[in-house]
Amino acid sequence: MSASDYVAGGKSERLVPRTTDARNAREASALARRRHGPSPAMWGMAMLVATEATLFGAFIGTYYYLRFKSPQWPPVGTPEPRVVVPLILVGVLATTSVPMQLAAFAARAGRLAATRAFLALALVVQCGYFAYEIHDLVDQLHRSQPQDNAYSSIYYMLLGADHAHVAVGLLLNLWLLGKLTTGLTMYRLNATQVIAFYWHAVNLLTLLVIGTLLSASV
Amino acid sequence: MSATLPPPAPAEEMVERLERMWQSRPGVIGWLMTTDHKRVGLLYFWTTLALFGAGGVEALLVRTQLIRPDNHLVSPSTYDELFTVHGMTMIFFFIIPMTTGAFGNYLLPLMIGARDMAFPRMNALSFWVFLGSAIFLYVSLFMGLAPNAGWFDYVPLASRKFDPGPNIDFYCLAIIFNSIASTLTVANFITTIFKLRAPGMSFNRMPLFCFAFLAASFGLLFALPPLTADTVFLFADRNLGFHFFDAAHGGAALLWQHLFWIFGHPEVYILIVPAFGIATEIIPAFTQRRVVAFPLVAIAELLVVFIGFGVWAHHMFAVGMPTIVVVFFSAATAVVVVPSTIQVFAWCMTFVTGNARFKTPLLFIAGFIFMFVAGGLTGIMFLAVPFDQQVTDTYFVVAHFHYIIFGAAVFPIFGGIYFWVPKVTGKLYFELPGQISFWIIFLGTNLLFFPMHLVGLEGMPRRIYTYPSGLGWSSTNLAETIGAYVTGVGILLLFANLVWSYFRGAPAGPDPWHGATLEWTISSPPPEYNFAVIPKVSSAYANWDVADREEDRRKLAAGALVLEQGHEQPVSSPIDGWFSEIVEMPHDSPWPILLALALSLVFTCLVIHKYVVAGVMVVLLGLVLAGWHNAEPETQ
Amino acid sequence: MTRRDRGTSFARRLWPLPVAVLALAGCGGPQNALDPHSHPAHDIANLFWWMTGGAFVGLGLVVGLLVLSWLRRDTRGLPPDPDDPHPGEKAGWTVVVGLGVGLALATVIAVFVVSAQMLKVTQAPAASSTALTIQVVGHQWWWEIRYPGTTAVTANELHIPVGTRVNLVVGTADVIHSFWVPELNRKIDTIPGKKNRILLYADAPGVYRGECAEYCGLQHAHMSLKVFAQPPAQFRAWLANEAKPARAPTTALQRKGEQVVLNGPCSSCHTLRGTSASGYLGPDLTHLAGRTTLGAVTIPNRKGYLGGWILDSQHVKPGNEMPDVDLTGPQLQAVLAYLESLK
Repeated sequence: MSASDYVAGGKSERLVPRTTDARNAREASALARRRHGPSPAMWGMAMLVATEATLFGAFIGTYYYLRFKSPQWPPVGTPEPRVVVPLILVGVLATTSVPMQLAAFAARAGRLAATRAFLALALVVQCGYFAYEIHDLVDQLHRSQPQDNAYSSIYYMLLGADHAHVAVGLLLNLWLLGKLTTGLTMYRLNATQVIAFYWHAVNLLTLLVIGTLLSASV
Repeated sequence: MSATLPPPAPAEEMVERLERMWQSRPGVIGWLMTTDHKRVGLLYFWTTLALFGAGGVEALLVRTQLIRPDNHLVSPSTYDELFTVHGMTMIFFFIIPMTTGAFGNYLLPLMIGARDMAFPRMNALSFWVFLGSAIFLYVSLFMGLAPNAGWFDYVPLASRKFDPGPNIDFYCLAIIFNSIASTLTVANFITTIFKLRAPGMSFNRMPLFCFAFLAASFGLLFALPPLTADTVFLFADRNLGFHFFDAAHGGAALLWQHLFWIFGHPEVYILIVPAFGIATEIIPAFTQRRVVAFPLVAIAELLVVFIGFGVWAHHMFAVGMPTIVVVFFSAATAVVVVPSTIQVFAWCMTFVTGNARFKTPLLFIAGFIFMFVAGGLTGIMFLAVPFDQQVTDTYFVVAHFHYIIFGAAVFPIFGGIYFWVPKVTGKLYFELPGQISFWIIFLGTNLLFFPMHLVGLEGMPRRIYTYPSGLGWSSTNLAETIGAYVTGVGILLLFANLVWSYFRGAPAGPDPWHGATLEWTISSPPPEYNFAVIPKVSSAYANWDVADREEDRRKLAAGALVLEQGHEQPVSSPIDGWFSEIVEMPHDSPWPILLALALSLVFTCLVIHKYVVAGVMVVLLGLVLAGWHNAEPETQ
Repeated sequence: MTRRDRGTSFARRLWPLPVAVLALAGCGGPQNALDPHSHPAHDIANLFWWMTGGAFVGLGLVVGLLVLSWLRRDTRGLPPDPDDPHPGEKAGWTVVVGLGVGLALATVIAVFVVSAQMLKVTQAPAASSTALTIQVVGHQWWWEIRYPGTTAVTANELHIPVGTRVNLVVGTADVIHSFWVPELNRKIDTIPGKKNRILLYADAPGVYRGECAEYCGLQHAHMSLKVFAQPPAQFRAWLANEAKPARAPTTALQRKGEQVVLNGPCSSCHTLRGTSASGYLGPDLTHLAGRTTLGAVTIPNRKGYLGGWILDSQHVKPGNEMPDVDLTGPQLQAVLAYLESLK
């Protein structure tokens, strides 16, 4: 078989990386560097992110639709959202994109220990953020309820949806760290890249959501 | 890697190995655990066919109720449930899953030279979730608690205050449930189309069918979330005391309509674009002519969905929007016409410049073009705002969208069924009864839907369960009802033909029509691994590239690109189709059906308002997911 | 299929054309969008006829191409000529671009421009351009009609002076309805928390039927209305009478009926101006006898029907808000005598 015999790209079957051949971190890393473009797994995550982002788009669109229909925003008697602490927190959350991406790079380079370390670092910060946010949410619910008016309804809907996405991200990170205790494979390498991508998306969405919600106080 | 490969084996031995590798488990277990896109496609086909039957019976009941003035066949509440569930069924539970689920799943991998979808287990999951959502909806109908506020379910009629029963909760949850299935399917399609094309099939060599499915997939991916948001809001309003739609608490009833139609209008194109895809495969096969203006048609297929996102408010011209908004959406509606007319004339010119053989599938496509143009022309009338405001919510609209949905989506589905059933069963249908079934359906649907234009202009609003005599509506309604039954007879004849052919039909052989695309290069029915050798592709009409097919045979003899080492599938670069890696595909798995079961439990708990139990079920669902991902494909 | 069959098949596709013309030209009831009785409805109907003409031309064009392909069928062999995989591609492109882009754009631009010009016809009337304002409130499943500036309130039967621009303000008490009298103008939805306006105008005296066009629940089918366009003098007389309080009963039977109405369940939902009955859930009954129909144009307003309605309106209009009223025979006779006197 001559190499040019087969297909576009001039690559023969023998020269194309085979996912199943990667049984350890080194082979997985070598293989990941030889493939063209994002893996199907990354495409799958991109689809999830696309549809979730559109969902948030619908929520945020609703927020502004109701806002422009309303004479006062937030309505009389409903407290304005606090600005400073949430803004700092969301900034902290956004910085976890850095260790997440570093974890993905480390996985691609076949460096298992570094991958774990970056993931663990990100997870600690994310857990801290999440814990404070839940505490804060409970606190806010004492002052206003989603049943008060349309403003509160969309406020808590947006906030709740965002927290749910952070929570899913935490579970994904936990699961990934669990997987990585027994070494790095192609599958786990893909998972690291994909989950890092998920976190970038969630962080961006959180920025948008919090920005939207805080705009009522500006 | 390369060093570990065994020496090339003789071709037969490799194919035998492939067969062993890709074989499903026998019996019912094999079907429950299957990840084979062809089996998933067939599961979708049978399920959606049953739902089409249910939706058809609902339609016949509605038509029978309207056969004469002041009729009392069904009660008003039953009537409301019938037309609501009819609409939901035909849109969410028949056309979308029939085109994407059945046609797309079965054919798309075959057309792009792949062995399965990109995420085979997710594909199976989408079917089981879909089945769960269908059962969910129909349980409500049999309990007499089905959604009853119309398929677009306007608030405040759908709010707790005016509809206190669980009917609308079933609506919200069935829609969300169903959307999950659709989203899974289309995420799979998009990834499959971009990544699993046979190496060498660059984007411009992809069949038009795939362009159409890509367009519909992107459409669904972005159109469903607004609907999900809308139904989540409604569920929260109804059950948790939120106020999204309640004008007394700062909400807005029109918010529902905006979000609904941001979904609903692209949805209309999503319903028909896959049908365009079916047409663009049937036409070349029966005219032996590549589709005229191929690149323009491919772009038009994508554009029609894209522009379709900008026209939603033309469903709301009568709600009293500011003039500037009305004019904008009228103009956008004008623009969206052009990609459709491009396609219509491209199909017609392919008919004219090719060598048309009017066999049954092509007759259905000719009928489809007629119906689509007729429905499209009334669609153009709706961009004339004053006229729209006069006839919206009347039977004129009902006529218009049934010409589009029945004529432009269901006709190609019927044509496609005739066209591809020989591929699926290996048996040819009977031509003369096939053509007769076309004429009965064609005349029946026109008798059913054409008079609706007239009765709409004569002032008959839609969704009334009865009407008095003396308004000039009686004879037209009678004609429509007769047309409905004629259509029903034609459809029964169609399926009788197919069933009969399954037992008595002549063998079809691999390529009965001299079809244009890759599925006609393999045996009928296709082997479980689809392609013994990953095919070479140098045009969108691969089966007509004789030299490439010769080369495939030479490669098979030499054992090249058979990929029989495991459950293997080549992955290509997204645009150029460069061979980029070989991945191991998952095999039969119990997890998809278990996950769908867990999800069904979640929705069941939600509809009976047991939110804590629903939370427990979500945990269960998470455990199933963890179980699913416990074993890794490479280590299996 | 024989050659002859195929020939007639295509001819059969054109059958709707004569049917359409026949059906639209003559028949149709009193709710016919193509039997306009005002300039807006007239303009809309004209627009429809022009567009329909164009639509049949467009449909004819496409059917013509399909017929042409049928005439040219089976003229080449199988498989396609490998030396000429795209026969007639240039002609194809010309038609696709010329008709599919050019003609289509020209058509939709023409429709858009003409209809945008016409928009002002169906727009809400300019403030102070109208001589009279009428308020219509949609209820499940009837229409409340008020004449601001007067005390007149009625239901389901709208009186307007002929040849006068009327500003109609529509709202809703519950769900979304749509006010639609096709022979006079387009429809307008009633949206909670929003007031929509539309012009109502009639060229000639007459009765024009309308119907709720937006699905609004169980009895959406029985939510019609009538517009009585009257000469101005007649209209003024009607309005003056409508603004008066309910007539006092003149006979003993009527007086007994009044007592039953005022002390019974009726008064908790209905208003009789000038009496103690001031319910607001159901239609105002002050001048009930002046109306021609009952139950939102469901049944005629005659004694037998009225009695049937009072005793068992749920049979006539299942699910409507009025409970069946339990009256003895003499009580019913008295109530009917009273209500029939409320001219």
